[in-house]
Amino acid sequence: MGLGLDLATFLGQLVSFLILLGVLVYAGYKPIRKMLDERANRIEESMEQAEATKQEYERAKVAVQEQISKARQEGQAVIGQATQIGDRLKEEAKEEARKEAQTIVDRTRVELERERDKAIDDLRREFVDTAILAAEKVINETLDKEKHRKLIEQALEESTTFRED
Amino acid sequence: MAKRKVLGCSLNLIIILAIVFLALTVISFIGGSVGALITGGEPLSIFAVQPPHPQLAAEHPFPNLPITNTMITAWISILVLFGLFFAATRKMKLVPRGVQNLVEFIYETAANFIEDPAGKKWGRMFLPVCLTIFLFVLANAWINLIPGFETIKMNGEPLLRNANTDINVPLMLAVVAFISIEYWGFKAKRTRYLETFFNFKPLGLGFKQLFTGKIKAGFGGIFNGIILAFAGILEILSHFIRMVSFTFRLFGNMTAGAILTLIMIFLVPFVLPAVFYGLEAFFGFVQAMIFGGLTLGFACAAVMAEE
Repeated sequence: MGLGLDLATFLGQLVSFLILLGVLVYAGYKPIRKMLDERANRIEESMEQAEATKQEYERAKVAVQEQISKARQEGQAVIGQATQIGDRLKEEAKEEARKEAQTIVDRTRVELERERDKAIDDLRREFVDTAILAAEKVINETLDKEKHRKLIEQALEESTTFRED
Repeated sequence: MAKRKVLGCSLNLIIILAIVFLALTVISFIGGSVGALITGGEPLSIFAVQPPHPQLAAEHPFPNLPITNTMITAWISILVLFGLFFAATRKMKLVPRGVQNLVEFIYETAANFIEDPAGKKWGRMFLPVCLTIFLFVLANAWINLIPGFETIKMNGEPLLRNANTDINVPLMLAVVAFISIEYWGFKAKRTRYLETFFNFKPLGLGFKQLFTGKIKAGFGGIFNGIILAFAGILEILSHFIRMVSFTFRLFGNMTAGAILTLIMIFLVPFVLPAVFYGLEAFFGFVQAMIFGGLTLGFACAAVMAEE
């Protein structure tokens, strides 16, 4: 009973196997290898993208936070400024009111003084007239009215000067 | 009360199945060839199996054609593998489904297995040969397990027979592995690879030392050189013997398995051969693994630097 070694069978099997090898390499292993590599690349890319997105998100978060705090600061500054302006306006208004009041007071005083002076003048004139009238009646003699008036005026003037001192 | 379950079936069903299987075994044991031998009568007609008469050489089912039945089986294996890979790669998708998933799993497992010892660069070179040898041996072994596979007769000879049991197939695979390994070794180390086999440099150096007057160093060098040259010859021998061992390991295991299964069928026709079918399926995988794995191992040894 022989082993069955046979060159023709051997070569036939060899050719069959080589065909199998060739077809599997070109129609099987290569496309699969390509697909596996592609998938690995895709997964790697996706991971990188996810990482990048995450970083982007973190950056955006920080930026937003910064902006918010900046806005808050600005708001605070505006409020502070507004308060200052308000205070200043208040002060100014107060000052103006005071000034106006002062003016009114001053004017009133001037007016009063003038009024008083006028009253004094009137009073004086009336007194002078009365005095002259009285003197006329006393002496019963018509005096040079103008001369007397001047005389008395002078006397009064002197007396006024005296009073003011 | 919840019924106890064993292997997903109710306990009663399991007991009934066990009794049926046991009964079939006992009946086929007594009624078959063994029982006939014990009782001295003839085996029952339904258990009468022709005694196996194994033949190592592949049969020729067609008298006029130089085609053996193992060749036909090898072609069927090849067609099955073609079908599998074409189905998987015909419409490849980035998200694999069905056959593509299976074939990618096979490829990736093999790639990991090979690139682990061989590294990425050599692994990609070894993979086609190693994986194809593995798949071819496995397909041959497993196709043979389809019930009734070897019973189809053509002109009085079995039409189909496990290709691994034809010595030409293991020898062919061994030769392919041998040539591939030597090619890779030469590719990796160029002329240094040949020095593994023809290492006469130290011997020449020894003679040179001897003739230039360094007698003691010269004799030492010559002795050393002779040993190294002899080691080279041993290396050549080992590479050829490796081929023989490759051949007979696969051939022997597969042939023995086939004969064992046939004998078991002859002795106890029912139930028991199923165990041997399972064993054969396992051994087929193991042998495919060994053939591919050893090719990988020798290939790694050939391309790695000795220092």
